[in-house]
Amino acid sequence: MGKNKLVQLPLWTWILAILPLLAFGVGKGKWGNFSVQFIQEIPRIWTDLAMKNWELPNSNPEFSAQPVSEEFYYSLPERVIFKTYPVYHPDYEPDGYWEWLHEQEAEIVFDPKNLKTEEDWIRAGELLFDYPIDTLGAVIGTEHVRDRDFYRDTQMPLTSEGVMPFAKWVVAGKGKVYLGNLSCGMCHTRVMEDGSLLKGAQGNWPGDKAFAYALEKDGASEKAIQNVTGFLFSSPFVAGDPHGKLIASGKDSLVAAYRAVPEGAFGRQGTSILYPPQAPNLIGVKDRKYLDHGGLGQHRNIEDMMRYIAMNQALDFLNFYGDYNPLGLTKERLYSGQPIIFPGTYDRHSDEQLLAIAKYVYSLTPPENPNKLSTLSEKGKIIFAQQGCVTCHTPPLFTNNQLTPADGFEIPEEHYGKYDIFDISVGTDPGYTLNTRRGTGYYKIPSLLGLWYRGPFLHDASLAKLEDLFDPARLRGDYVPTGFKPHTVKTRAVKGHEFGMDLGKEDKEALIAYLKTL
Amino acid sequence: MRLLFVALFSFFLSVPAGFQSAFPVRFQIKNAGITVEGHFSESSFDVQFNPKDLSNSYLRGKVLPSSINTGIGLRDKHLQGRQYFQSASYPEVQMHSKRIRSLGKNQYEGVFEIQIKDFRQDKTISFSAIPKGKGYEFEAKFSINRLDFGIGEKSLVLGDEVVVEIKLRKE
Ligand code: HEC
Ligand code: HEC
Repeated sequence: MGKNKLVQLPLWTWILAILPLLAFGVGKGKWGNFSVQFIQEIPRIWTDLAMKNWELPNSNPEFSAQPVSEEFYYSLPERVIFKTYPVYHPDYEPDGYWEWLHEQEAEIVFDPKNLKTEEDWIRAGELLFDYPIDTLGAVIGTEHVRDRDFYRDTQMPLTSEGVMPFAKWVVAGKGKVYLGNLSCGMCHTRVMEDGSLLKGAQGNWPGDKAFAYALEKDGASEKAIQNVTGFLFSSPFVAGDPHGKLIASGKDSLVAAYRAVPEGAFGRQGTSILYPPQAPNLIGVKDRKYLDHGGLGQHRNIEDMMRYIAMNQALDFLNFYGDYNPLGLTKERLYSGQPIIFPGTYDRHSDEQLLAIAKYVYSLTPPENPNKLSTLSEKGKIIFAQQGCVTCHTPPLFTNNQLTPADGFEIPEEHYGKYDIFDISVGTDPGYTLNTRRGTGYYKIPSLLGLWYRGPFLHDASLAKLEDLFDPARLRGDYVPTGFKPHTVKTRAVKGHEFGMDLGKEDKEALIAYLKTL
Repeated sequence: MRLLFVALFSFFLSVPAGFQSAFPVRFQIKNAGITVEGHFSESSFDVQFNPKDLSNSYLRGKVLPSSINTGIGLRDKHLQGRQYFQSASYPEVQMHSKRIRSLGKNQYEGVFEIQIKDFRQDKTISFSAIPKGKGYEFEAKFSINRLDFGIGEKSLVLGDEVVVEIKLRKE
């Protein structure tokens, strides 16, 4: 039964889970409480009242997420932020670096008492943005990143200094050097073609390929892979239970499913590797009204952003969906007072930390666009208006911030008054929004700002290039998707969003030239 | 006398000048600075017109919002949805004259009631009625504010004003 699932965790998970914890010495008294006395007001974000209506209901409202209580949330210890160090590809690691790391003492680098100005907050937020919340080996571990094969196998992007920027070394004490996973930067940082880093951009971390590599390299058992896939994606309340079927399909097929997720998308918990969400661009997120591709989280103010971060790093593992909890917990177990040792669930960011991260995310600005206005792009601008793109992708944000229903979703009457809805489906694949824990039945209209430094495109990252979006061949069953393609098929139509597809070649070129200037 | 649009179709195609359109009811609206043109492909009219007896004359018309055509299929579907015409609940848009007076030389002015969904509004509209054969060619151009009729919401890109053109031949 589900109740015992956590207890039945496979050995490798437990070993990964418990060793670093012991080493970290997560004793009760060790989590200092910060006392805060400055003018910056710190909102208390996880109140029972605020959490009640913050998220949109699930597309199947009986299974809408029920978050943990305020009392539970605030009884979790606050995260301690240690100094981190870059992870190098073995060929680029400076001589003696590894030994040097092991001689470093732990250094606590976040202390809200030191934050006086807005700039201080933003700088602290950047540090937290790059701070891994996991050292249990949630995705990859030390032995992987110290192995050249890992980089080759996953085609891991590296900076010009040979740094793999998606993970960090966390020094938690002298000789206690852990590989840290799940910083925001893991999924929301992009290595650009010239080897520079663009923080906050749609990431290009091949995370699920890396995870598949780790599973194979570690010789994880079928049961282990099935369990972890269940924690991450199970949604047994969904019609047809596609994740149940995926899990039942066995080890090789599961590993293939992880491998099928392209860089630029990631099977975040509560989503799917069958319908993997594109890693969104956080540059400009301040102006968006809904968070996640399905618009699950409302974004009315900075507190909502803080809630989003708290929930997704990673307290949603503790949500109940009806009676279902992804870790197999019961409510009694959850509220028993015993910690739940699973990545991201046994501690929390303090409200100060959340505020700092949110301020940093809000402060992100795009790099200078190398694509300058031209006669071609000016022509494209007119086509953009003529083709009706403006109605949904409305300047200056290039989104009207509305939610469109997916095929197969009936908009409940009461939603019209509550949410901002554009009531037509653009006909893209409904899988993510109808079949996952985060699904709402909607897809939000994405902003087109920054298209030039992003990709792959669409909510499931199915198209690698902008050109592909306007290629009528993609509507046919014999199309080979240039981005995400499910592991079970060789070809598949990428349907929906059939705008601008009938344009002539020159008009398409003009439209794309314009899109790249945004 | 009843005139169905279908009957007009062939006629208008053969007479391009002046009546460039095959569709009696056309409209224009500004979207992001660009004028979007569209028409309703299904409409019907009921006309009783005698310049010498205006008090017993009337002009009535209906269009089906389900036949709206702006050149982009999905947009048309959206315009039929509940935030615009809600055509499933309100299959017809109607317009009828309440009184008509002459302005001289084939020019007239009528007070028309326009009904879209549950919204009604009286509007004074000038039109011409030019004798053609045994009948008349009617032409009117006027504008309405879509917000007065619950057609969408205030928008940064989409104009409020819709210019409507009706061109119609009655035998
Ligand atoms: C393991 C990868 C991963 C990590 C770590 C991660 N994110 Fe994300 N993030 C994603 C993915 C994938 C989505 C899209 C989820 C969806 O649509 O279902 C997302 C969505 C978001 C969104 C919603 C944006 C939008 O426009 O919809 C915000 C905001 C965000 N992340 C901020 C953060 C912050 C801040 C952190 C660190 C505290 C963080 N994320 C950590 C992968 C990650
Ligand atoms: C009816 C509203 C609507 C119209 C009109 C519309 N779009 Fe979109 N657009 C969307 C939605 C919704 C998505 C996200 C669909 C998905 O991912 O499933 C999207 C996605 C996109 C994307 C991918 C963005 C990304 O981050 O992956 C691009 C590019 C785009 N649209 C460009 C255009 C252009 C160009 C036009 C006009 C030719 C246009 N759109 C017309 C609603 C619209």
